[in-house]
Amino acid sequence: MNPIAARNLIVRNAFLCAAAIAITSCGTATINKTGSDAQIETLRSYELTFIDEFAVPGKRFKPAAFDARVAEGNAKFQQAIANEKFTARRPVLNDLAAQFKADAAHLRSKASRGKVTPALASEMKKDVNKIYDHALGR
Amino acid sequence: MPSAGKTKRRKSSRKTSAKKSALDSALDQVTDESVAASKKEFQDLLAQAKGDTSERIRQNAQELEERLVLLKKRKIDKEDFDFFLENQKRDLRVFVDSQPAEAQERAEKLTLRVLEIAARVAIALI
Repeated sequence: MNPIAARNLIVRNAFLCAAAIAITSCGTATINKTGSDAQIETLRSYELTFIDEFAVPGKRFKPAAFDARVAEGNAKFQQAIANEKFTARRPVLNDLAAQFKADAAHLRSKASRGKVTPALASEMKKDVNKIYDHALGR
Repeated sequence: MPSAGKTKRRKSSRKTSAKKSALDSALDQVTDESVAASKKEFQDLLAQAKGDTSERIRQNAQELEERLVLLKKRKIDKEDFDFFLENQKRDLRVFVDSQPAEAQERAEKLTLRVLEIAARVAIALI
């Protein structure tokens, strides 16, 4: 093989390798993003269920049950942050974890004094849905 | 079918104006001189925000208006109102920062500034 043909072959192979790497990494990013979206949806469901369970007007407040659910929620957020492979999502998950803590603190304060209203529950859920939609870029 | 759509639009338009008047009439009852300037600025900015081209700015104005009405009707208390204001601020800071430099000032005025004044106006409402 003459030197020019050999050089062309090397250049072509290098180009094909670069293209393959680029395509593969795009695919990996998409898979990571999809998995990350699913994780965020799981956290959204947990938070909405948490509000449904404790933001009930007239329901007797049980501190131990409440604290157990908050601890479980915090652990879920920490696990999601640690497992997040799509690194751009970590700050978003940190914000969502902080929002969960703020929601839990407000709900504890209201529920422990029997001051939960139907409007509070529905507005809290509205906020959660909005914040999660924004986190998902919707 | 088209007429069903029209009916829906008409109903939704009536609902919006009913909400508008609920807040406007509530604000009309605020006669405290010390918040008169804030009230005027709030009404001007809220009207601008509701007519803005950005969906996020319109959405924020709509939520704020609804929550002021809930507060006035005592469906939520001041603690709840302040809590929701903080949520809105946190969410909007990211939005304002993501705007192009030339649009940031306006976005901030129609979101974060409106929320700041709303906190003052809310005290006079209850």
